Amino acid sequence: MYHRQGRYKGRQTNMIDPVILQQGSDWRAQAEVFDEIFFVFLALGTLVGTIVVAYTLWNVYKYRDDGNRSDEEFDAPVVGELPTGQGGPKAKKLFLSFGLSAIVVISLVVYAYGLLLYVEDGPDTGDEGDIEIMVEGYQYGWAYEYPNGHTERGELIVPADQRIDLNITSRDVWHNFGSSDLRIKSDAIPGDHSETWFAVSSEDVEAQGGEATYRVECFELCGPGHSQMKSQITVLPQDEWEEWYAGTGNSSASANVQAPGAGVTAPSGVSA
Amino acid sequence: MSGLPPTTSVKRWLVTTNHKDIGILYTITALFFLLFGGVMALLIRLQLWDPTSQILSGLAYNEAVTAHGLIMVFWFLSPFAFGFANYFVPLQIGADDLAFPRLNAVSYWLYLFSGVLLAVSFFQGGTLSAGWTIYAPLNVPMYTPSIGSTGAVLALAMFVTGTTTSTVNFLTSIHHSRAEGMGIMDMPMFTWSMLATVWMMLFAFAALLAVGLILAADRVLGSVYFSATEGGSLLWGHLFWFFGHPEVYIVFFPALGVMLELFQTFSGRRLVGRKWVIISICLISVQSFLVWMHHMFLTTINLEIKTLMMATTIGISLPFDLVVFALIYTLIKGRIQFTTPFLFAFGALLLFILGGITGVFLGAIVLDYEFRGTYWVVAHFHYVMFGGATALFGGAYYWFPKITGKMYDEFLGKLHFVIFFIGFNAVYFSMFLGWETPRRVFEYNPEFQIYHQFGTIGAFVLGFSFFIMFYNFAKSYVSGEPAGDNPWDYSRTAEWAVSSPPPLENWPNRPSYASGKLEFVKDYVPDGGPAMKTDDNGDVATDGGDSHSAHISEYPYWDKHPSHASIWPFALALALGVTLFGFSGFAEAVTVELGETALQSNVVISNAMYPIAIVAGLVGLLYTGVKWGLEDFYAPPTEFAERWPFNGVEKVKLGMWFFLASDVIVFGAFLSAAIFVRYNAGWMTWSPLTESLPGLINTFVLITSSFTVILALVAARRESRQGLLATLGTTILLGFTFMAIKLWEWNHEIFDRGVTISANAHGDPIQASIYYVTTGLHGIHVLLGLVIAIFLFVRAYQGHYLDDERPIEYFGLYWHFVDIVWVFIFPLFYLF
Repeated sequence: MYHRQGRYKGRQTNMIDPVILQQGSDWRAQAEVFDEIFFVFLALGTLVGTIVVAYTLWNVYKYRDDGNRSDEEFDAPVVGELPTGQGGPKAKKLFLSFGLSAIVVISLVVYAYGLLLYVEDGPDTGDEGDIEIMVEGYQYGWAYEYPNGHTERGELIVPADQRIDLNITSRDVWHNFGSSDLRIKSDAIPGDHSETWFAVSSEDVEAQGGEATYRVECFELCGPGHSQMKSQITVLPQDEWEEWYAGTGNSSASANVQAPGAGVTAPSGVSA
Repeated sequence: MSGLPPTTSVKRWLVTTNHKDIGILYTITALFFLLFGGVMALLIRLQLWDPTSQILSGLAYNEAVTAHGLIMVFWFLSPFAFGFANYFVPLQIGADDLAFPRLNAVSYWLYLFSGVLLAVSFFQGGTLSAGWTIYAPLNVPMYTPSIGSTGAVLALAMFVTGTTTSTVNFLTSIHHSRAEGMGIMDMPMFTWSMLATVWMMLFAFAALLAVGLILAADRVLGSVYFSATEGGSLLWGHLFWFFGHPEVYIVFFPALGVMLELFQTFSGRRLVGRKWVIISICLISVQSFLVWMHHMFLTTINLEIKTLMMATTIGISLPFDLVVFALIYTLIKGRIQFTTPFLFAFGALLLFILGGITGVFLGAIVLDYEFRGTYWVVAHFHYVMFGGATALFGGAYYWFPKITGKMYDEFLGKLHFVIFFIGFNAVYFSMFLGWETPRRVFEYNPEFQIYHQFGTIGAFVLGFSFFIMFYNFAKSYVSGEPAGDNPWDYSRTAEWAVSSPPPLENWPNRPSYASGKLEFVKDYVPDGGPAMKTDDNGDVATDGGDSHSAHISEYPYWDKHPSHASIWPFALALALGVTLFGFSGFAEAVTVELGETALQSNVVISNAMYPIAIVAGLVGLLYTGVKWGLEDFYAPPTEFAERWPFNGVEKVKLGMWFFLASDVIVFGAFLSAAIFVRYNAGWMTWSPLTESLPGLINTFVLITSSFTVILALVAARRESRQGLLATLGTTILLGFTFMAIKLWEWNHEIFDRGVTISANAHGDPIQASIYYVTTGLHGIHVLLGLVIAIFLFVRAYQGHYLDDERPIEYFGLYWHFVDIVWVFIFPLFYLF
């Protein structure tokens, strides 16, 4: 099937200026990218909205029917006339406003598109190498399978300062894996794999007292337990995480999982 | 049944086919569903009051969410708009009625009974709980097992059937019955909006019908489309949103039309840039079919396609910009009267501006990634769809005096608006503030509780405001001031030129715009001949427009009085409702135990009610269908009318073309589904399930039958009864041959090869499902054609169709279409 990101790796580095993308630190989290675009859209949207609504309200007030206007120059419509439009200076104004709004909208989207390419591909976080985690949604929870085969439920434990790639699918119905705090989200579709990534810096982890946690929720209606389908992402400092990860080893694969074969790697649908 | 009882009699409302009566029925029924959906909304809002304690279980909450969405989108918004469209489009274009009055009545009754079916589904173990978007595979019985879920899906399919007939009717009416002198660019803006709406509906609702039928097959017959991991989920997404995006405009455009009318009427100004507004509306209608994947940005669609969809999405916002500015500039230098209708229309514009701006956010993919599945989306589409519908309430106040002849209470109207507007923004703006809450989740982050509580209070205020409207309308209907024909200073459209309420056949004489403004002209009707136009001197005129006098004489009953009453639309819709009720419980009540052969198989019935309903319903359908066909119902075509771009096409033929166009989309969706799933499964891993020889023979059989239908038409034209009977008879025999071979083929597949609709001994079960469901849909079309052919055969035997062969011709169009579809099915299922 389609893969959202894999096929474009490598191409995009040419299309984005790395200096702009990596201001301040080595890379930008999706949350930072989102917050920036959201702010720009919100500011411009509020501005345009306020101007248009204020202009409209003012004119509606100004041209209210107060009974004091003379009938001269007022070409009142009559019942049964064939509809005609109004031309003249207003039509010119119409196209001017239309042109302006088109410029605003198109430039906003072109601007946002540049950052989309970055979000699609993810940053290069250095020599550490990415960790790819298979995420499988089920009614009603998430299973996280690590590269060593260890599967964790209820909580995704990852190291700071490293890019975490999530490969997301579902065992039963359509779910949506998302963390509003981290501004990441991806559909979990049975028989299909989607991808997203995130990374949390060690500064953020320290700011939260040595262990950062983020809410994970399901964003697609998936059944009566949809509301309770919660999970958590826990970010540990590198060394602590490595210690924890080493302890998961080979033995734990069966300890935490009831049905490990039921498919992170081989998703089983109803018809399979 | 030709006399129409008075409006005080219940019978009148069961038999009426008059567009104004049906408009009233639509409006009142839609308002009932507003209350129904509103109660669901209030349940949702109560549940959201406190994220830690709830009044509904998770399942019940999902049912409320689903029913709220389905009812508001399908059973309230569109039918409410269609109430006005029914009443006022014929008046605005100068027609006596819609093109097919009985079809109009059946559209309404299908709508009503589909709503009944939906209400019944609550009592069949709980209604559907998969959200109004009904995502797969949550929509299959494995995850939503209740009978009521199936009932709701079938109710939706029935609703869509009703909208399809309505669509065909409006398209034919607007393209066929415009008064002389009213060119297509001269139509009032409300009619223009409705024209764009029904064009979109013709294709969009066909896609929904297709996806609904596939889902019904999954739920009733056991096919496995949407549970298939070979793209089943995405298949639903694509088909649903191919319908779902145009649906937004289908809901919004009638409201936009009301805004365009009301802004002109209450400012005394004509629309600025009228031509460009019309062009924008047409552009949006086309573009609406090119943006659907923006609802699926987070699925595995690749970046190129997402980029394309982002571009088309931004593209569609531009014509909307133009329309909004045109509305604003129209008011300038006007004499704006702040009546209740104007307040609602103006409020709708403000709400729509906010909905539009927040929609641009969603167009940017990076933002959409985060907004997906959150209350940002919920708030946005309520501002667009319900915000737009605000104008429809303006329309209700605007046209209330025309429909009832009484004036509404202006103070109560304004009070309604103020409370409505405050309540509206309290509910939906608070959703923007708490936007990080996931949709359809009630155990949300307690941080957002304050916004949700604010929203809940707003929802009750909003709900209360409607009772002011109901009270106002009830009180004014009983004791309001007489409104007169035209209570508005600057109205222009033709409905204000007749009395309030208008007479049954609308006009004193034939309305004409030939002189550039509305006039009622008296035609010269020669003894025993069709009407003829007269010029100023009273002489018979021979030029101008696409005069119908040329083909009016083709109608054998041209001088009969038009009919306005028939019970069969009601009966037919009731029969379909009973049938579908039966099918809702079919899978539960009937189990087929396959034996070695068909004869050794067992059918176990655990609950006789459902199979009995199916049989009774089908018998009823056949009976009412035949009665319908035999009924002497006369709906005359407009004699002198503007018909661009369908000049010279006869009314029923035009309707048939529109119907077939929508059926093309239905089959297109089925075939696309087959191709999509096969592509996902790996194209070359599938080979035909069946042998190609029976398919090949059937291809020849069908093509031959197409030829004999043409011969039947030739025979009818030559007035040869024997020739007609022989050729029609051959067609029927060929049709049965096709069905017999098909039956043999299915029997062979099931009992010799172990391939059933849900199991496949030789490969993917989904391949078997697709084969049975797609060829089955085609088979049902053949069967329906055979029923019609037998009806025609019996009538031909009695000597009909020799003086008027058009029924044979139109049946032929249908039959050829069914044969052409087979030409696409054959290679896909038998050759490759």
